[in-house]
Amino acid sequence: MSELYTEVQRLKESYPDWHSAMLPALRLAQEKHGYLSPDALRECADALGTTPAICEAVASFYDMLHLRPIGRHMVEVCTNVSCALVGAQQVLERFEQELGISAGETTPDGEVTLRPIECLGGCGWATIVSVDHHYRTHVQPEDVPEIVQELRSGD
Amino acid sequence: MATELVLADARDRDLTKLAEYEEVAGYTALAKARGMEPQAVIDEVVASELRGRGGAFFPAGRKWAFIPKPDQNPNPHYLVVNADESEPGSFKDNEIMATVPHRFIEGCLITAHAVEARQVFVYIRGEYTGPYEVLVAALEELKGRDDLLSGVTIVLHRGAGAYICGEETALLESLEGKRGQPRTKPPFPAVEGLYRSPTVVNNVETMATVPQIIRVGAAEYAKLGVPDSRGTRVVSISGHVQRPGNYEIENGTSVRSLIYDLGGGITGDRALKAVIPGGSSTVILRYDEIDVGYDFNSLLALKTAMGSAGVVVLDDRCCMVQLGIRISEFYEHESCGKCTPCREGTRWMTQILRRLEAGDAEQHELDLLLDVCDRINGKCLCPLGETAAIAVASYVDKFRGEFQQHVDEGACPFGDSSPLHNVLAPVAMHTHSPVATVPA
Amino acid sequence: MSVQPKGSGQTPSAVRPTVKLTIDGVQVEVPKGTGLVEAALAAGIEIPVFCYEPRLGAPVGACRMCLCEITPGPPKPQAACTLQAADGMEVRTALTSAVAAEAQNATLEFILVNHPLDCPVCDKGGECPLQDLTFRYGPGDTRMTFPKRTFDKPIPISPLIALDRERCILCYRCTRFSEQVAEDGQLVAVNRGSQTQIATFEDEPYRAPFTGNVVELCPVGALTSTTYRFEARPWEIQDVPSVCGLCPVGCNVNVTTREGKVKRILSRNHPEVDQGWLCDKGRFAYRHLNAEDRLRDPLLRVRRRGFEEISWERALDEAEQLLRAAHGRVVTALSGSETVEQAYALAKLLRRGLDSHTAVLPEEISDALDSLRLPLSAIADADAIALLGDAPVVERAPIVELWIKQAKRNGARVVTSIGELGEAANAILVWCGPDGDGGARVAALAESTGARGAFYLPETANTRGVCDAWAAAADAEAANPDPIALLIVSGDEAAANPAVRALAEQAERVLVISMFHGLAGGWADLVLPGTSYLERDGTYVNLEGRVQRLRRTVIPPAPDELVWISRLAERFGVEVSPYPSAVFEEVSAIAFGGILLGAVGELAELPPATDDKGSGQTPSGSDPEPSGLQLIRYRPLFSGPAVERTPELQFQRPLAEVELSRHDATDRRIRNGDEVTVRSNGTSVTLRARISEDLRAGIVRIADEHAGDLQPSVELAT
Ligand SMILES: Cc1cc2nc3c(=O)[nH]c(=O)nc-3n(C[C@H](O)[C@H](O)[C@H](O)COP(=O)(O)O)c2cc1C
Ligand code: SF4
Ligand code: FES
Repeated sequence: MSELYTEVQRLKESYPDWHSAMLPALRLAQEKHGYLSPDALRECADALGTTPAICEAVASFYDMLHLRPIGRHMVEVCTNVSCALVGAQQVLERFEQELGISAGETTPDGEVTLRPIECLGGCGWATIVSVDHHYRTHVQPEDVPEIVQELRSGD
Repeated sequence: MATELVLADARDRDLTKLAEYEEVAGYTALAKARGMEPQAVIDEVVASELRGRGGAFFPAGRKWAFIPKPDQNPNPHYLVVNADESEPGSFKDNEIMATVPHRFIEGCLITAHAVEARQVFVYIRGEYTGPYEVLVAALEELKGRDDLLSGVTIVLHRGAGAYICGEETALLESLEGKRGQPRTKPPFPAVEGLYRSPTVVNNVETMATVPQIIRVGAAEYAKLGVPDSRGTRVVSISGHVQRPGNYEIENGTSVRSLIYDLGGGITGDRALKAVIPGGSSTVILRYDEIDVGYDFNSLLALKTAMGSAGVVVLDDRCCMVQLGIRISEFYEHESCGKCTPCREGTRWMTQILRRLEAGDAEQHELDLLLDVCDRINGKCLCPLGETAAIAVASYVDKFRGEFQQHVDEGACPFGDSSPLHNVLAPVAMHTHSPVATVPA
Repeated sequence: MSVQPKGSGQTPSAVRPTVKLTIDGVQVEVPKGTGLVEAALAAGIEIPVFCYEPRLGAPVGACRMCLCEITPGPPKPQAACTLQAADGMEVRTALTSAVAAEAQNATLEFILVNHPLDCPVCDKGGECPLQDLTFRYGPGDTRMTFPKRTFDKPIPISPLIALDRERCILCYRCTRFSEQVAEDGQLVAVNRGSQTQIATFEDEPYRAPFTGNVVELCPVGALTSTTYRFEARPWEIQDVPSVCGLCPVGCNVNVTTREGKVKRILSRNHPEVDQGWLCDKGRFAYRHLNAEDRLRDPLLRVRRRGFEEISWERALDEAEQLLRAAHGRVVTALSGSETVEQAYALAKLLRRGLDSHTAVLPEEISDALDSLRLPLSAIADADAIALLGDAPVVERAPIVELWIKQAKRNGARVVTSIGELGEAANAILVWCGPDGDGGARVAALAESTGARGAFYLPETANTRGVCDAWAAAADAEAANPDPIALLIVSGDEAAANPAVRALAEQAERVLVISMFHGLAGGWADLVLPGTSYLERDGTYVNLEGRVQRLRRTVIPPAPDELVWISRLAERFGVEVSPYPSAVFEEVSAIAFGGILLGAVGELAELPPATDDKGSGQTPSGSDPEPSGLQLIRYRPLFSGPAVERTPELQFQRPLAEVELSRHDATDRRIRNGDEVTVRSNGTSVTLRARISEDLRAGIVRIADEHAGDLQPSVELAT
């Protein structure tokens, strides 16, 4: 039996009602498949005991779950008001430049996806950039090349 | 002014460590509470006049008292903690969980005792990897400590990126594995919440305040603050201030002092233009409205609120139409899509605002904007759409001249000198899922 | 004035306390728990709604069309659909409240912001709630000047249903039906906010037994049926009330016809029978009426293999000859889809006129069930339900499955053996499957366990009525003729039945009554064209024992069976009326306590349960312990002559699956979707595994068409 299946069974047991395992299961499936491809959704549905349609309905509601392929790394720049006030747009644009893509796109080598994101809850430490789901605080445009360098050289 | 209860001792010590927390009398309030009858704990919190710190400011003790007693409803009771903090401008729960996790957990355990819940779910915002890891470590440390846990289980449940899941019933739907769309109320969660069982939903800061109330006693706690707004509040200050960050203040401190004393004043020696006082969903304050106490009644008099205590300071370069666009786009993006006025109205608002900003709008469209806001307001299933409408309408209301200027001049008077110019919002790049084609 | 809240699933037996409230100044008294929408109706006032549909579960308050000013309550308009009437409540709708009027206007404006103005080409035009409400409450013009949201349109979400996302107003009726009524989890909302859209998974069709209901639920023209698209406008059509004749439930339907053709079938809510739901077979299989191989003229076998079309006059001569030549050595195979009147007419001719008493009945239904008689709706209120017999309920009597699901949602325990039933105050037994003795077995089990009711699910629509009718014409016992001089095969189910085919081998001559060439050709000496349940007047008796009225919705291409039986009977001096009402009167006097056809009414009542309790004997033999796994082969819902002749239904045919219990799956480490080989006596088939929670350990199920030559005892291997 696949790992995902077994892990999802364990997740289901940690809740009084197995339905609650949906989000954690989708997160796991995404980690395993890179994104929630139709096959990932099918596998998830089988493990949970529901339909792929229900899984897609849930997944497509949440911004952190991806129904389309994404890069190995994810760079998310908060462009909500507090970050925007101190220059988030310039940070985003600098990422576009350094990566050679527009926001919303993935580099052609499949390495990095760049996107703007709604308020990340770090407004006092603006601009917040979430790199692979870890926050970088006080990011200025001039910090961008280094971050990109790190991503490119990292494993 | 700064009086630390929630964040107390966190500057000098690493309170993420259980041992350190115990050194500052950590978990003694829990022991004290466990020595009391559940009802006595509820009474104490009622007497403290603690109000929820998540935004709606509902008295915490009263909410707990709504939970039916086990003999009235045999279903298990649940405590669900709202750690989904996603309101633009707020980042206090982030810091609370990251720096005083044990105080927060202690509050959860006391509350669980008060409402007779054996299971606690902490619904933590999916993006909050840092605080999540801190909580995981804190719970790990507690594993052997059944003297503290006493059989209560705490499950960390991670969200996946949806602001609406901060609304308590949407949160419960999401926790039940569904799309996070709000439920109609009544029934309220206290009667029919998680898995249709009695459920208390409280904010992170509310939880982290509880141990201090039990420790010092309700009477002592209620000495802090002003009528209807007792105790302290962790305020998130951001935007154009010198020293942005979280500050725990006594309720009633003036907004001016938040900006100029704690925040250190406006950056770059510019002039203050406006302040969003309690997160993006609150009515904006003009530069000349800041001599007001940061408390429920004082702000209510100005038709605004502390909300989630996210204070966003804007300097005089900011275009209010652009602010409107960015806020409207946020709500359009985060609208769950369940009820008509919010789903359709927020989208329409953005469209009109964009035309205004571009200088393409005619006079009647300015009135149309207000009318659309008015038609959203008071008609929605949950407050999301309503607050979007109220917030944006307040920008027009308080900066009407500036909006008018856009119409009259056929262009934005600020253009790209405003830091809010041309900011790319996620909603602007939203694409559909591939459209299904079905073979016969 | 008082009303019953719709869809509460409660039998109105207990007198409930009432509450008094005013709606637009009109005082009404309604039972406690009544929703405000119904309470307003009781006052003669309409609160407009889109998303509200009590049959879909708890109200969701999504569309905001029903906003009213309500005191006591917060100082803003409230969604009336989510509230229940309370004492002293004051409700003000758009009629008397400016606030409510403005709110409803606002909702309509928001809905129309993105709704296309294609009413003239929309199938819903003329019967569209959005069109109606816009006309009544809406603004005359639009203030929305931006491009509307656009989608590809319309896209088929199955061969049966087209979805036009631009027209969708996101009331979520369709997805709530899929999720909370049919529980098929196939039709969902994806994305969020204004990007939300209705969808199926990937490019897979909406494939489930009850999909067509979403077309009826959709309050706009977003979901339309491909079979009705552009077929008619509301002012050109006629709706004929009848009942469905494709399974023993007998759902109440309206049959829409235009220019003598059936154009669609809609539900006609009988709250005790079907609650307004239909399965896709009942809704779409009407297409068989115009099948290519439909028989219009009688056929006579000439020489060896050839057939010749003959006139009806000649056909009756031939039939008369066949009957005379048989000298009473006749066996009649009945389908269970004949009307009571047809079966009785045939029985009277054969039994009274020709002393030919032997019939192959579809199944003999035991009258032991009569003392346990309940409406199907009672299932929804049961505390516990035992599903016995091991065949899948949904394949045989689909609506019963919906009632059971509803019961489950209401908290009922559903078990698959009597042993697990335990102490339930209000238990109901349902037998679906082989070895049920026409219901005698389940009746006895109900007696011995003190269950409140029991249902037996026969295989065909009017099994019960046909048996009653055959018995009603009796004047002597059957004596098996040997050899059989003439086999009469009445109807398509009998014609398709392998056992009947086998019997035909032994018969000297065969007369077949059938609608289709494909079923009658090749083995009959004389073929008389049959009619469909949609073309007949008469009655059916459903599995509850409810006598229901069938109406002729269109003229059949051949005379109704009753007409020619009557004429044939004349030749033997047997008096059979060609009028269903007269024949019914005759049967009714013997079998149905003398009720008149007129009294059957549009929404037929269930006769009260009889009080003669059965013998009380416990049925012989407990569930046998089979060695290995016991295979239940079943006839799938989407099969049979009508389905085979409806091209749009082919995608609904059963998948190549084997259903097994969780227990057996875990034992064998089989998971959903695994390929497994099912073996018995040297033959085997390979199928996809599907784990079912409603299946006893030790049982596996496979649809007939995928079961090959498997024997009743099988083994599984991955
Ligand atoms: C759109 C919306 C978003 C919300 N987001 C949050 C949130 O992120 N965190 C939170 O604690 N409360 C949030 N709330 C308030 C909750 O619904 C609820 O009132 C709160 O969690 C109760 O906790 P409290 O009584 O301790 O404040 C939100 C409300 C709305 C309408
Ligand atoms: S398709 Fe029809 S039923 Fe479904 S949500 Fe849209 S309008 Fe409602
Ligand atoms: S009918 Fe009440 S909100 Fe839709």
